[in-house]
Amino acid sequence: MLLAGGQGSRLKALTSKVAKPAVSFGGKYRIIDFVLSNCANSGISTVGVLTQYRPYLLHSYLGTGEAWNLDERGGGVAILPPYATQKGGAWYEGTADAITQNIGYLKEQDAEYTLILSGDQLYRMDYEDMLATHKANNADLTVAVMPVDWAEASRFGIMNCASDGRIEEFEEKPAQPKSNLASMGIYIFNTDLLIETLEADAKDAKSEHDFGKNIIPTLLADGKRLYTYQFKGYWRDVGTVASFHEANMELLGEHPAFDLYDEDAPIMSNASTRPPAYIGHEGKVDDALIANGCTILGKVEHSVVSTDAYVGPRAIVKDAILFPGARVEEGAVVVNAVMGENSVVKEGATLGDPNEETIAIGDDDVIEKKEA
Amino acid sequence: MAKVIGLVTANYYVENPSELVASRPVASMPFLGRYRLVDFALSNMVNAGIRTVGFIMPPNYRSLIDHVGSGKDWGLDRKAGGLFVMPGSNFGTSRLGARFLVRDLVQNRQFLERNSSADYVVLSTCNFIYNIDLKDFVESHIASGADITVLTKKATEDNPNILGFDTDTVGVTGKHMGVKFGDTAFLDLAVMKRELLLDMVDWYSAIDHKDLFCALVESGDISRVSVKTVDYDGYVAAVFDKQAYFKANMDLLNPKVLDELSPEDRFVKTKAHDNPPAKFEPGSHVTNSLVSAGDRIYGAVVDSVLSREVVVEPGATVRSSIIMQGTVIKSGARVENAILDRNNVVSAGTELRGTPEDVLVRVKGRD
Repeated sequence: MLLAGGQGSRLKALTSKVAKPAVSFGGKYRIIDFVLSNCANSGISTVGVLTQYRPYLLHSYLGTGEAWNLDERGGGVAILPPYATQKGGAWYEGTADAITQNIGYLKEQDAEYTLILSGDQLYRMDYEDMLATHKANNADLTVAVMPVDWAEASRFGIMNCASDGRIEEFEEKPAQPKSNLASMGIYIFNTDLLIETLEADAKDAKSEHDFGKNIIPTLLADGKRLYTYQFKGYWRDVGTVASFHEANMELLGEHPAFDLYDEDAPIMSNASTRPPAYIGHEGKVDDALIANGCTILGKVEHSVVSTDAYVGPRAIVKDAILFPGARVEEGAVVVNAVMGENSVVKEGATLGDPNEETIAIGDDDVIEKKEA
Repeated sequence: MAKVIGLVTANYYVENPSELVASRPVASMPFLGRYRLVDFALSNMVNAGIRTVGFIMPPNYRSLIDHVGSGKDWGLDRKAGGLFVMPGSNFGTSRLGARFLVRDLVQNRQFLERNSSADYVVLSTCNFIYNIDLKDFVESHIASGADITVLTKKATEDNPNILGFDTDTVGVTGKHMGVKFGDTAFLDLAVMKRELLLDMVDWYSAIDHKDLFCALVESGDISRVSVKTVDYDGYVAAVFDKQAYFKANMDLLNPKVLDELSPEDRFVKTKAHDNPPAKFEPGSHVTNSLVSAGDRIYGAVVDSVLSREVVVEPGATVRSSIIMQGTVIKSGARVENAILDRNNVVSAGTELRGTPEDVLVRVKGRD
């Protein structure tokens, strides 16, 4: 069950028109590609995707799930938006509530285990390995955790565990963390227990219907077998424009922190079929990702340039991310910035400042040259 | 609009096609980094709303089937209509010039019979590169009242592989294999009524070793079947030999020509791949080149076309060359005026050099 309904409000302009999981990333991907590819690479063939905020692009991008080999009869991708019933309709209020409203879907799939995922994180994980740990521990619930900086630990849901990984205590954003193992928001439940717990939680008027705040504490209090699965590797939440920018920049360089070129676990996407990128006579590209369909006539340095983007003659793009179809016109300068899909920086105009916070403009935005 | 189906033939042989097609049919020759030649014929058809396309295969069809599959990437995996892959005769690939081989049409007559609701058939081969609005082409055919309309262009150079038409003010009167400068060159694209094509298949079944249009002229039927020409004024490349192939790739190192060949509203469709974007490492140097997804460039690339998953190591230089999928240019190597087929490895420090007039070719390496 893939939670993809979030707005990602801290991404500001970048999510003004699309949900965070549908935001462009790394030149030819959308954020949700990473978790869907993890599913495909882990042999999971049934994925329910829960959507809510501005779902159109997400829905059309997911399609039948074919791009991730998830178009299977009797399984595959099911898009699960909020819906109306004879009693009326309701939005998803919290992560647990979203699943509760789709218990019917869960029952129909009749799977022994249910994996709860977020559609807005960047990482590679073999969920099969996590499931093997879950089974070996004879656990009721397994929570994926990763060590974070102690200084940062009070921003996360922290798991205090015994040496065998059994969770003894869970603290949401503790002021004085006893551990630095943070929940990644990735859970494996025994499905029967999940349904039972969600149904009980739904009746609790005081509950916020949130996995971290309500479901996990309830199961702990009930003495259930909760275990951690320790993940060591690259993981990013890209919650803010700055961290989104940084994660894109981490794809660059000779030894990138996140390697898109790893053939063992390829990142799949609903790719368009565009011609190769053209680099012009005066074009200069240094340390960059350039997707198909791009035309680069100016200078691109330390940047990520997505499908069908255009960099005009004498334009300069540095430490920037151009989303699909973005245009940097002749002589324009884009530095330390993120340009939304089909946005334009007009001839001679400037976007971004290396000495300030990374700036983002939204899809279809147009930046004109400031008159002197 | 009239209902139109398409028929693409890939079961023919071309003279002097170079060693590049020893391992594959011409139709599946890689082109411009990410396409294969067949993409242009298929895209022209589906971009005009044609949703039923017969595809006559050559006997060595492995790479072609691998590429087109179910026709999904061209929107041709359909419940009604879609891509019909059909067998070509063994004879086809030994028959020089017979690109619309009558025998292949006879053998696959059923395709034409079964799609009985179709009024018109558009015929195409796979060796010409152009992007045409086939709707216009079909409409002008219908408006003209001619029996057959063929797409032509005034030849700008001699070419022994192209069928030339003799014409008068009314239409085609004769034919000759090979065109000289100024001749009316046939671009291997024609439209006619489905019923007429079925008739022609019957008329020429006794001379089924011939090309359909050659049979039409040689039988004398050209005097009663009216064949009108439509002159094409866009970019065309006739890719029948390695120099033409090389030149066509180089022509497209120009965003204007590339736009004309694959405009946004009629872009060329091809098989989708999951390669990451091309990665330009610090210190790389690339000018006037086409670079594909999955490439990793550390060295220099000038005036060249790179297919996907090509690696140009530090200190390596690629100049005026076409590098196909998965080829690795090791550090310090130099490649100039060359076509390197798939999965080659150019050893460190070595040189591969052709001339613009005689391009060096390296055949496919091991997968």
